[in-house]
Amino acid sequence: MEERFDFVIVGGGHNGTTMAAYLAKSGASVCVLESRPECGGGQENTEPKPGFRIDPHATYLYGGAAPGFEQLELHKYGFRFVPYRSMFGFATSDGKAVNLGGRWDRQLGEQSVAAVAPPGASNAMRAFEVLEGEPTAEFLRSMFWTPPHPAHMDLEPGDLPWAQTLRKHLGAAFSETFLDMSLVEFFDGMGAWEPAAVANSFAAWYCGAHPAWEGQALPSLGGLMLVGYTSGSPRGGMHTYAHSIIRCALAHGARIITNSTVEEIVVRNGRAVGVVMSDDASVSEKTVWADKAVISAVDVTQTFQSLIGRGHMDAGFAQRIDDINFKGGSLYVLSVVCRELPRFHNDPNSFADDVYPSCLVYPSDSWENFFKQTEDVYSRKVVPKLEKEHLSMMICTHDVYDTTRSPDGYRILSPIYVQIPPTHYDVAGPDGLNRMKEDFTKAVLELLAEGAPNMTGDNIVDVFVNTPYDSEFRNPGMIAGNWYGIRQSEDQWFMNRPLPELARYRTPIDGLYLCNHTSHPGGLCLMAVPYNLMHILIEDDLVEPGGWWYPSPWYIPENGNKATA
Amino acid sequence: MTRQHYSPQLRPGELPVPEFPEKSEYDVVVVGGGPNGLMTAAYLARAGLSVLVVERRHEIGGGLATEEVLFPGYYSNVHAVYHMMTDYMPLLRDFDLTRHGLTFVVPNAQTAVVYEDGQSLVLCKQIEDTKDSIAKFSRQDSRAFGKVMRSWRRVVDELIAPGTYAPAMAPMDMIEAFERTEIGREALRLTEMSPLEILDEVFTDDRVKAAFLYMSCMWGLDPSDSGLGFMVPLLIDRGLNKGICYGGSHKLAGALSREIMQAGGFILDNAEVTRIIVEDGSAVGVEIFDGREIRAKVVASSLDPQSNFLRLLSEADTDTGMARRAEEWEWDKWSFFTVSTALHEAPVYTADDPWVNKAFMVLLGCESTDAVLDHWNRVLGGQLGPALCGHATTETRFDPTLARVSDGSPHPWAEEKPQGEAARHQVAFLQMHAPYDLEGGWKERHDGLVDDTLELWRRYAPNMTRENIILAGGESPVDIERRLPNMVRGSIKHGDYNPLQMGFFRPSEDCEAGRSPIEGLYLCGASSYPGGLITGGPGYIAANSIAEDLEVDKWWRPPTHVTRYVDTYMSD
Repeated sequence: MEERFDFVIVGGGHNGTTMAAYLAKSGASVCVLESRPECGGGQENTEPKPGFRIDPHATYLYGGAAPGFEQLELHKYGFRFVPYRSMFGFATSDGKAVNLGGRWDRQLGEQSVAAVAPPGASNAMRAFEVLEGEPTAEFLRSMFWTPPHPAHMDLEPGDLPWAQTLRKHLGAAFSETFLDMSLVEFFDGMGAWEPAAVANSFAAWYCGAHPAWEGQALPSLGGLMLVGYTSGSPRGGMHTYAHSIIRCALAHGARIITNSTVEEIVVRNGRAVGVVMSDDASVSEKTVWADKAVISAVDVTQTFQSLIGRGHMDAGFAQRIDDINFKGGSLYVLSVVCRELPRFHNDPNSFADDVYPSCLVYPSDSWENFFKQTEDVYSRKVVPKLEKEHLSMMICTHDVYDTTRSPDGYRILSPIYVQIPPTHYDVAGPDGLNRMKEDFTKAVLELLAEGAPNMTGDNIVDVFVNTPYDSEFRNPGMIAGNWYGIRQSEDQWFMNRPLPELARYRTPIDGLYLCNHTSHPGGLCLMAVPYNLMHILIEDDLVEPGGWWYPSPWYIPENGNKATA
Repeated sequence: MTRQHYSPQLRPGELPVPEFPEKSEYDVVVVGGGPNGLMTAAYLARAGLSVLVVERRHEIGGGLATEEVLFPGYYSNVHAVYHMMTDYMPLLRDFDLTRHGLTFVVPNAQTAVVYEDGQSLVLCKQIEDTKDSIAKFSRQDSRAFGKVMRSWRRVVDELIAPGTYAPAMAPMDMIEAFERTEIGREALRLTEMSPLEILDEVFTDDRVKAAFLYMSCMWGLDPSDSGLGFMVPLLIDRGLNKGICYGGSHKLAGALSREIMQAGGFILDNAEVTRIIVEDGSAVGVEIFDGREIRAKVVASSLDPQSNFLRLLSEADTDTGMARRAEEWEWDKWSFFTVSTALHEAPVYTADDPWVNKAFMVLLGCESTDAVLDHWNRVLGGQLGPALCGHATTETRFDPTLARVSDGSPHPWAEEKPQGEAARHQVAFLQMHAPYDLEGGWKERHDGLVDDTLELWRRYAPNMTRENIILAGGESPVDIERRLPNMVRGSIKHGDYNPLQMGFFRPSEDCEAGRSPIEGLYLCGASSYPGGLITGGPGYIAANSIAEDLEVDKWWRPPTHVTRYVDTYMSD
């Protein structure tokens, strides 16, 4: 039987399913094809050990400011939220443990900071709260939930929507020089206490921006503010958030089919008209036609290299795709089942159980430490370093505040992220790191035990690890095991992401749009790429949402002009 | 220490995102999103009722669980694997689930037995193929199998299978009804026999008998007890018609969730129910662990009797008869220990008939009826081993989508691309009956038993070497209970199959067609008639009763095999 839909979406990860929900709610017929047995992509929780739920990828609700919560009414489909009393903290190897608290208990952070920070140091320790409340949401929406402006409009950095909103809310505190700064320079300029600045920089790095690159100070802060704004996670984990999106899409009639890998996007006369699945797909008819558009929710590289193929690209464009850079974002992820939480420096009060920071950086000592690790990741040193001065980690735990994650009597640290060079730059081959998995895991756990001596012996019940190489298999859209699929440098960010000619989600192939983490604003399960793409699909007369839809106030249509900005 | 969930005092509107409401109201709230709960919900949602399914876990499906237990990269069907009722389940006719990509693969080579001396037996969907294989052992048994299946197929097709989807009859009514037909009288005759007696009557060769004994009793019939003999034809016939759910058993749950959502229903996961609310003697809703209250005209619970009547209902609410029944409830007589493996290549069994390697299920260690009975007797005594017998399935032989990892690089630009089946890794498991209370303790013996199980496997499939095994993990009855607490003591069927807990007595003679003695509380899970094993029976029967009681139009019609059964046996 012929299968025909208005839209066919390749990939049922966060962006694919959210796009499906938006389109189905707009009344379009939509089909999502997902390769894995379960949708959600990086928005996943698994239970490799009975009773223990781990987060192999996404872990916090960064997207609290998303219009999608209202527009898609995710609360109807089961969405619940757990605020965390303490969101963020850090520990140094020389004995300090700082609890920065979070949005829902500011006092906690203030007290801990006052007790530890040297006199005279700036209070820039809580960079994730540069703004508070509604202004934060407005700033975040202008940065993440706004489509890049049309390529023909040459906007100055200061004209960009997020620069405008920040200027508005910071008033006199805003300086035009911020726009050209790196986050490191930004902190230095404030005279921030080094360990705190390093902790914030590490956190920003794990949120996707590079703190040492010029022009990235504000985007880096934006990443931190996404976490600070919500200071919590979906009840039950990120996969529950995925469920609410998937169920919204289903409720509006979307077809979502799992175990069905798309092998080819069918292009006829320069136009994407459908997709072909691999022979082992779960449906009988392996070709599905798209009357209006094919939307690729896998990364840009695989979209063109594997699904479209050189038969539909000129050599110049193909080279530009080949040159897309994967540095950064490749995560070595550990999940540790233990009896008690890490006690840093053996101090039972370092982080008390009821105020334990959900996310903490260790060790957060010095810029030296920070640069050693970031340089490993970016400068094609290719073999991950096991030496302690080259390592740091971000330790996340949810079950202090969300009791669904592990049984009583246990704790689960999941994920513990260690950023490492992308596997495919490894001189030992892409599986090089997998062959040193045991040694690398041991090195990370030893480093943790140096700071928290209780993290040894019987306290560690089980350890689960997924390397970037594993992630490529598990999450086919996560190329190079990189959760944002493409470097977050200035030439691959905002209106340049993933390439300037692709920034508005359109492609050289008619009827093919990009809706994935390699488009602006990237990963983090923000519901932002689909929201932004909706503007473009409306512009192209492909979809007509109802009264529930509202566009970004900073959106500039294709035929818009600078004055609109 | 029981942890409390943190709830800051937030000002109204301060929460960054809107949430599922503190109080909500539906026509039907279904407790537990396992196969039966989802089926009840799917039928009722399409009937126009507002339905909410509340599930404790982060995934719906209950025993329809396909999970990445071999982390990272390999999915296993951690509970239901063998779907035995796909030919009869009304659900699969009433809903077009193929549109969600649901399909069952039912191989002809169903159950193979491999023996240490290299002989083998292949029991097939096609009776003649089975006869050919049995004839290698005994021409007489081959003939006997052909003959007995003429009758047993009818017992299943006319009585047991349709009876799965109609309310249970009281024992005296059933005897009176079954006396009406010749096939009914045969079923009654079998009922009074034990599985061993029935098999002794049909077969002479001990190996053949051992294979059918394993099939008859693997789901929990007592080999020597009479009273449930009519289930022997069912379990043998269905055991030769089992299918694997392509994409994993969870796909059936996924397909049902799609039907529920598209019919206007809702599903709330991570929502452990802490109380069934009863007012003036009627169930009017549930409360979940974070304090949310969900009101409904009816509550349909798919949980076990102790959860329902001892934990979620207060003593004052529950009818004392049901509380006593729940206290006395007997859990499954045995559970399972399963070793799942991710492999470079599928196990290749040494056997005279290479066809065994295409079989859905392969029995290992079933060298004789004594070997099988010894294993079970030890299990009943809290022991496991030293001699073991069990059944193995290479899931990826029928469903390659479960293994996500291949040899070679996944990179599109890689020169060396994974090619064909050889490159794709395999997922296989070996499962055996096991006690919940294991002598020596599960924690202490777990790793050793994984090794023993792999050793058993290697004896029959020499390529199950350390080099071939990428990952291996065991799940004990204790693990089963921890993953799915409703399977108390690892009871995959929510309660033993014995004459006092089956048929009209499941879960109690006071519960008729899914209606509990408490007004507004319906029972739709595996602890209700007809029982577990993904028959879809309890969910279907409860959906019918609820639709009738709420007086909504039943948009579905019972399958003809059911109407014929009802007309013949259930009308005066």
